[in-house]
Amino acid sequence: MTSESFRPLTTLLHRRAASTLSTTTTNTLRSRIHFATRPNPTLPRRRIKVHPPPPGPPTKDPISVLTAAQIKALDPSGSRAELFSRNNPQAIRPGDIVYVRRKNGEPFSGVLLNIRRRGIDTSILLRDQLTKLGVEMWLKVYSPIIDSINLVQSKEKMARRAKLYYMRKLKHDFGPVRGIVSDWVRKSYAAKKGVDKAGQSAGQKGQKEQKAKKAKK
Amino acid sequence: MIQLKSMLNCIDNSGAALVECVRVLGKKRPATVGDKIVVVIQKQRSLGHDLSAAAQAAVKVRRGDISHAVVVRTRKEYGRADGSYIRFDDNACVLINKSGDPLGTRLSGAVGRELKKKKWSKILSLAPAYV
Repeated sequence: MTSESFRPLTTLLHRRAASTLSTTTTNTLRSRIHFATRPNPTLPRRRIKVHPPPPGPPTKDPISVLTAAQIKALDPSGSRAELFSRNNPQAIRPGDIVYVRRKNGEPFSGVLLNIRRRGIDTSILLRDQLTKLGVEMWLKVYSPIIDSINLVQSKEKMARRAKLYYMRKLKHDFGPVRGIVSDWVRKSYAAKKGVDKAGQSAGQKGQKEQKAKKAKK
Repeated sequence: MIQLKSMLNCIDNSGAALVECVRVLGKKRPATVGDKIVVVIQKQRSLGHDLSAAAQAAVKVRRGDISHAVVVRTRKEYGRADGSYIRFDDNACVLINKSGDPLGTRLSGAVGRELKKKKWSKILSLAPAYV
């Protein structure tokens, strides 16, 4: 039987058909057609793993789907994306002064020269002058290390270019941004304190009123 | 990316103003912030024609001297592990002696933070600012 089992199925069927005379064998042959013969029955059966199909419907643009998922994970509220969105009129634009707070390390501020839009790798180029020396830094907008990106001062007129590399030249260099940024930081803290104080005093007033009402009753 | 023939500003008070790199030490690639290089002094810092003896003594190197140096700023942007890149407006170095101590006593200008990682804490402590 072993020599026979190595032959293809069709020849086996033909030989069996030729050798038999009764009709019952044709029924068994017909049922037998559906089974493939094993090359070597003594070997264990092969378990060919059939993988399930990948989840979700097939997409024409998996990169954009992945990018959207990554941005959703890193910027769930969408505030970071809105800061640099082309459609948002209050967005940060090239030429504005930006103050970036990082979770570990000192904050960096500077004039925004360039917004490089590359999905999850979207980054901004800030230029500052420290000790009369120009320093530029690229920062990833969606990075979890970045605590907050704040607009300190927007450019009065819209810059007539998207990339402001001309600001590297002495004639157009903005200079140190430290003074403007420190003023803004001070004002923003003062404003925050004012809001807290107002909230506290309002709360106290409310409590007093309630007490007075109870006393009247 | 500092390599042979690169000109760097010397930002310490050792006496050198402009130096030229002749060799990058320890690696077969151009030097970046925190790497050791060998330099030739091209320009001396002019402190005035009538120099007191003390001022003259303070000048440790002269034009044509060969010295070791550490790169502290590069005009070529370099990346950090958090995905940010940083770039300065000039190339700058600090002269050191063979044992790694800076020749000058004061630095002017900001330096790159990579000096800490590459164990140049003495230079970093002298620097007025680091980015």
